[in-house]
Amino acid sequence: MPILEVNDLQAGYGPITALHGVSFDVEEGELVAIIGANGAGKTTLLMAISGIVPALSGAVLYRRRSITGLAAHVIMRQGIGHCPEGRRIFSRLTVQENLELGGFTQRDRWQLRRDIAEACELFPVLGTRMTQVAGTLSGGEQQMLAVARALVGRPKVLLLDEPSLGLAPLVVRQMFDVVGSLTARGITIVLVEQNARAALALAARAWVLEAGRVTLAGTGKELAADPRVRAAYLGE
Amino acid sequence: MSALFFLQQCLIGLTNGALVALMALGYTMVYGIIRLINFAHGDLIMLGACLALTLVGAFGLEAAGTATAGVATWLGIALLVGLCGLFCGLVNVAVDRLVYRPLRDAPKLAPLVSAIGVSFIFMNIGLFWLGPADRSFPQLLPTANLLPGEGLQFGWKDLLVLVVVVPLMAALMVLVKSTRLGKAMRAVSQDETAAALVGVDVDRVIAATFFLGGFLGGAASVIYGLYINTIGFQMGFQNGLYAFTAAVLGGIGSIPGAVIGGLVIGLVRALSTAYVGERWAGAMVFAILIVILVFRPEGLLGRRTKEKV
Ligand SMILES: Nc1ncnc2c1ncn2[C@@H]1O[C@H](COP(=O)(O)OP(=O)(O)OP(=O)(O)O)[C@@H](O)[C@H]1O
Ligand SMILES: [Mg+2]
Repeated sequence: MPILEVNDLQAGYGPITALHGVSFDVEEGELVAIIGANGAGKTTLLMAISGIVPALSGAVLYRRRSITGLAAHVIMRQGIGHCPEGRRIFSRLTVQENLELGGFTQRDRWQLRRDIAEACELFPVLGTRMTQVAGTLSGGEQQMLAVARALVGRPKVLLLDEPSLGLAPLVVRQMFDVVGSLTARGITIVLVEQNARAALALAARAWVLEAGRVTLAGTGKELAADPRVRAAYLGE
Repeated sequence: MSALFFLQQCLIGLTNGALVALMALGYTMVYGIIRLINFAHGDLIMLGACLALTLVGAFGLEAAGTATAGVATWLGIALLVGLCGLFCGLVNVAVDRLVYRPLRDAPKLAPLVSAIGVSFIFMNIGLFWLGPADRSFPQLLPTANLLPGEGLQFGWKDLLVLVVVVPLMAALMVLVKSTRLGKAMRAVSQDETAAALVGVDVDRVIAATFFLGGFLGGAASVIYGLYINTIGFQMGFQNGLYAFTAAVLGGIGSIPGAVIGGLVIGLVRALSTAYVGERWAGAMVFAILIVILVFRPEGLLGRRTKEKV
């Protein structure tokens, strides 16, 4: 039974429809990837799951229950975390305050401290920057903070939108290592990536999005070997 | 005499400025959270003053006025501040819910024009409530000087301004700095979407901000009545203008900025009234506003740079 199921989802912005009926599903503890070109609708898809962009039709089911149309904070509180594209950290707040906001729904102060400490173990550099204003972190550090902030919210399902964007190659490796390790902590991952090679290597299953429609689906291995994927997304 | 005179004007200026600052907070908080200049705030304060006047009558507070202010008077004033604060806070929340929230995703001009509309509606309610003429607001506090000697005048009314304004502002700063709501407010003000994604109920935080700004405005309306002793249905316009100017001067969106802006305006007004003439006071305030904005467009404590994206 999938923990998250998206059925024929349509969504858009005013007159623009960006998703024309997208379906996919994730099993509990699975890591799946969504790949696609710029403007394919990947970000819109994650935003629609999170309730930021309203769905025009179709449904999002979480643990078999529809969460379509719920407010974003309600969806988050049910266990769906989202690390949005472009980091969107609170740049005028400190690293510490950003992480505390990640655990906004955690009422137990001690648990919150443990969660923050745990997130900092994954990204040790953050632990040394707690009092720094987040906007003055380097781009890579900001990306780590964004992922750490989402993790402090203890998501069951984590939607990751291009976590490797703008990172140096070495840091990209580190980021993918962390992302890959999250399933071992019981977190289900939906990974959106431009870096299709790395994403497909990690993903149990993946979907290719083109102009708001799913055009290909399969296991990560299958897609990585598919000639169309290789031509369009792996640059071969 | 001249040094003493100067000191006296500063004292008057700071007291008046504290009142302006309290009104300015409503502008700056709402702007900080949803980038809306809530033009109706001045008229909301006027409605608060209407309620204050009505309540003074209902409570029979006018009887006070001996040499020292009695406990009953102070309790009465505290009750007025609480009730008018609550009233203005709730009216502000209702306006947000009915007018501004439906326009949240509309172009910025739509809520702005609606705010002007709300301002007119409030003014008409005030006209209905008070009548067209100015009304005198009863003198509840004794007029005796609290300072020894003849030199400096600092009366009960001045004390009242300080004992209400200073704790309210301190409480607000603590609230924004260290409570859960305050953290949520700062998060929403920086990025609504990111705030929602960490589980913040954005609409509720915005409503809470309107409540707090309205509450402070309601408190200010009581102080205004007791301090100035005249209220009228048009008072919202001028007071709103000065308060808004204070918010811009300090850096709109910044809470300490609104406080400093209010104090600066109070001082400039008092000193120019004393040394240049009352009719120039308004011109001086706005001349200084323009000069400051030329050199610091973001206001005294506003943020200069855009943050890294
Ligand atoms: N706020 C918006 N208003 C209007 N149109 C939008 C908005 N955001 C995205 N779009 C449009 O929706 C479509 C899908 O955009 P989306 O951001 O989901 O693509 P994406 O797959 O995430 O692209 P990228 O890889 O560049 O991040 C695009 O055509 C885009 O122009
Ligand atoms: Mg995107």
